[in-house]
Amino acid sequence: MSPNLIELHNASFGYDTQPVLQHVSLSVERGEFTVLVGPNGAGKTTLLRGVLGLIPVLSGRVVYHFDRKASPPGYVPQRDSLDSIFPLSAMEVVLMGTYAKLPPLWPVGRAGRQRAAQCLEQVGLATMGKRPFWTLSGGQRQRVLIARALAAEPEVLFLDEPTAGVDHEAETAIAALITELNRTHGLTVMLVTHHLDRIRSSVHSTILVDDGVATRRRLDVQSAP
Amino acid sequence: MDTLLQILSPDFLLRDALVASVLVGLVCPLVGVYFVLRRMVFLGVALPQVSSAGIAFAFLVFNVVVGPHEPFQLSERVLALIGSFTFTLAATIILAYFEQRRAMVEARIGTAYAIAAAATILLLAKDPHGEAQLVHLLRGDILATTGTSLVWMAAIFAAVVFALFAFRKELLLVSFDRDLAVVFGKRPGLWDLVLYLLTGVVISLGVMTAGPIATFGFLIVPPVTMHLIAGRMLTFSLGAAALGALTAFGGFYCAYRFDLPLGPAEVALASIALAVVAGGSGLRRAIGRRGT
Repeated sequence: MSPNLIELHNASFGYDTQPVLQHVSLSVERGEFTVLVGPNGAGKTTLLRGVLGLIPVLSGRVVYHFDRKASPPGYVPQRDSLDSIFPLSAMEVVLMGTYAKLPPLWPVGRAGRQRAAQCLEQVGLATMGKRPFWTLSGGQRQRVLIARALAAEPEVLFLDEPTAGVDHEAETAIAALITELNRTHGLTVMLVTHHLDRIRSSVHSTILVDDGVATRRRLDVQSAP
Repeated sequence: MDTLLQILSPDFLLRDALVASVLVGLVCPLVGVYFVLRRMVFLGVALPQVSSAGIAFAFLVFNVVVGPHEPFQLSERVLALIGSFTFTLAATIILAYFEQRRAMVEARIGTAYAIAAAATILLLAKDPHGEAQLVHLLRGDILATTGTSLVWMAAIFAAVVFALFAFRKELLLVSFDRDLAVVFGKRPGLWDLVLYLLTGVVISLGVMTAGPIATFGFLIVPPVTMHLIAGRMLTFSLGAAALGALTAFGGFYCAYRFDLPLGPAEVALASIALAVVAGGSGLRRAIGRRGT
């Protein structure tokens, strides 16, 4: 089994055939905690979306050393990307994670509901399942979205600025949760953030995205402050 | 009370029309919830009109190519359904495509409405056979509902309702978080098409049965009403359908009792329900704010 979970070979990503990032070659190892950093508009989210398959690879290759059907990626989008018009309970949002492995016509069964309840418990929101999703605080909503990602039983978790716009306390709790998922449960994590300080000690590597180029740098976790 | 008992009697002369009306009220909101959630309400205005244009077009083409059609026959309804469904589906796909691109959305839908309305009248003017009956059909000829057409309608609506519930997790996922659907390999384009097909069927049958006004009313007003109070998707969908069926029945009662046109009576009743729920919801929020 390859030690790498994801490999990018000379990959270029962009929108409408216009490249934002070009000739990216890097790899993400199993169990690694990788953070994408860089200035606003540099292309961090573009890289994350490219790796996830949400935007086409304009050239080069993205190789997954895991079965995307058996273990779909967990994905936590930016908080503003979801529409508050949907009347959903927290549990209904988490249940969407279980849809990953269900074929059409197949309802969410008891096992799926139990899995969703466990994921809510894992993020510390066991009693919040019946609450309307949009009445939760920003931090709680982010944790529900992390629970939804976990409900897909992923090997790798992609998070796009999960602490943006939440208060200091919630930011700390979310950072601690992601660190625990990586350390205790062995989940590979790819995280876009502007706030590296709070998780620096847990991060294995950074990918600096700037000026159309992505550069990976391995960090020494033990010696990190 | 006598009128109510009369309507509920198995021998009621207009029983088929009543059942058809309630079926339209029940099923239209189940599709309408996606119009509201996807912020495509304007489509709900334009599509029934496009459906009407499709009916007029089908009659004209049939008249030119084959000859005059038989009014009030099942073949006429089938012909109308084909025209209505084809136009509605094509328009839904085209308008939904532009809706996603978010460019000049209102202008495009408004243009589609204007073209469809004008085309309907022009096509009717060019059909010399039975314009009066056609106008009836375009307004929704619920009194022409026969036992056979009711059975067909119930069967088609049952299939639509089954599909909406069987595929509800896919339809919800692509509507709420399209990116996640792609990550899960769910092919959102395919599920959009399924939703548009179901929408086309419901609007076509709705327009032919109850007319464009009632169809639009049932597509939008019950979901908007339930959206004010529902905290879960299932409550939202089922509540909207139940409210639609209830207001259809109530509207039929009022139309029969007070000799009113059916479609506007149903929409008026649905609007009263919306006003009551909105008022209650606003009052509850105001009391809540005072309490804190």
